Amino acid sequence: MSVFFDIKTELMHKTIPLAVFLFAACNFAAQAGTLNDSDAGAEKPVNNHASAPAALTEQPMFRFGGFGSLGASRSNQDQGDYVLYESLPKGAGRSGNWTAGNNTRVAAHVSANFTPAVSAILQVDSEYHSDDSYSPRVELVNVKYAFDPDFYMRVGRLALPTFLDSENHDVGYSYAWVNPPVDLYQLSIHSTDGVDATYRSEIGEAVNSIKAMYGSRSNAKEMWGFFDKLEYGQATFQIGYQERQSLTLNQLSGVSEAWIRNSDLSVGASYDRGNWFAMYEWLQRRSIFKINAMYVSGGYRINEFTPYVTYSRIAPGTFLPGYSAPTAAAVQLANRSQRTTSLGVRWDFMRNTDFKIQYDRVRLGDNSNGYLVNVPPDVSLHGSSFHVITAVVDFVF
Amino acid sequence: MFRKCLMLSLLLAATMLAASARAEVVVVVSSKSNITRLTAEQTTKIFLGKVVTFPNGVTAFPLDQPEGSAVRDEFYSKVARKNASQLTAYWAKIIFTGDGRPPKTLTDNLSVRKAVAASPNAIGYIDKSVVNRSVRVVLEP
Repeated sequence: MSVFFDIKTELMHKTIPLAVFLFAACNFAAQAGTLNDSDAGAEKPVNNHASAPAALTEQPMFRFGGFGSLGASRSNQDQGDYVLYESLPKGAGRSGNWTAGNNTRVAAHVSANFTPAVSAILQVDSEYHSDDSYSPRVELVNVKYAFDPDFYMRVGRLALPTFLDSENHDVGYSYAWVNPPVDLYQLSIHSTDGVDATYRSEIGEAVNSIKAMYGSRSNAKEMWGFFDKLEYGQATFQIGYQERQSLTLNQLSGVSEAWIRNSDLSVGASYDRGNWFAMYEWLQRRSIFKINAMYVSGGYRINEFTPYVTYSRIAPGTFLPGYSAPTAAAVQLANRSQRTTSLGVRWDFMRNTDFKIQYDRVRLGDNSNGYLVNVPPDVSLHGSSFHVITAVVDFVF
Repeated sequence: MFRKCLMLSLLLAATMLAASARAEVVVVVSSKSNITRLTAEQTTKIFLGKVVTFPNGVTAFPLDQPEGSAVRDEFYSKVARKNASQLTAYWAKIIFTGDGRPPKTLTDNLSVRKAVAASPNAIGYIDKSVVNRSVRVVLEP
């Protein structure tokens, strides 16, 4: 960038004398305009947002926008389907060479600022769902009340900040990857119907934000959690803990309709220098069994191009004391271990639009079919590898 | 002839101004404000909505210039280390999670200067060439 500015500065230095010369040659008297704001009478500063001068804050009450992705992925795995979430009925692989389902969606978003204190959002997404359709769903709808700009509460369907990119996991334009690393984000619970409170404060040069949440959703009740995010310069650190009662598969528990207490401990860190970035996230989930998952990722920005590399893995699940695997199938279900190496590039080829292409090599654990779906019951893919290639165009409006 | 000369001169002057807009962005507050200096980090936090006050506790209202304008791209790349698409990506995350909205956008250097001059709560970035006594430069990135 600085080279570009230097050239511009030099150009400027050459144009000034030339312009002056031409001006003089035409015998024109230069009339230097005086830059004076005679009406610039300063008011007294205010210390709250409600009584701020309208000229500084007046914005439309409603803001309409949206985002979307058009993607296609292909896998050479012909004995199972590669999916971003195991709830998806079909993916790339056995059900078809190519699938759009993993990386295609469109969402409409409206926000309303009724007063400086009261605002609301509504977001409707159309994406590939568990019912094998793209039928639109209300992804987020909530009302926010701000006691002051740094302390607010929300009620409604709320995004959960389990991971650094959980709340915006479906906004492809907001990150470098074609999608957040599957081995970790598989475990993300996207939203809750409930209430949360957020308090933000400055600690020296750093900004700290702590959020408490309570709610429920289909298949989970009595959800609560705390999330703390610390931003210092270009570094971000996040830690979260959440618990819920989850409706657990009876193949796993040996009991039908079993509500099992689940807990997630999550840790994340990122550093974004502008021209390069590095990220690390980790999660431990404890239910009947314990699993750990993580990824580490980094990228380097060269003008409009951002090549990146990611390594992620989910470790074998181990049954916790007090629980034992009722069947061999339960052991299989608990063991989703796989690891993925990804290489990709994001190209910001036009305003508000990017193109990305990513290659993944997925290696399944020694006693695991990973997160593949539609694997025939008599097929074992333990320890094998396959490839996935994904291309996607993301946009925001 | 007279007019052609004038037109040519103005065209070159306009080119020059466009070039200087890229090279010479400065961050300004009202000359009536108590703020005399801000770091790039403090300015970034205000414009990215991470804080709502100046370091002295006074409420801060940042003012943006239009998307695609040279002075805006220059400001964010130098001060916040974000190019236009990184900035859009940043706000996409904030907007679509309902965490906030970008600063109010005014039309050009002069409208920002005027709004900043009028309120000690305001902060903006303008081309150095339009700075006058109504505003104070607090950061020259």
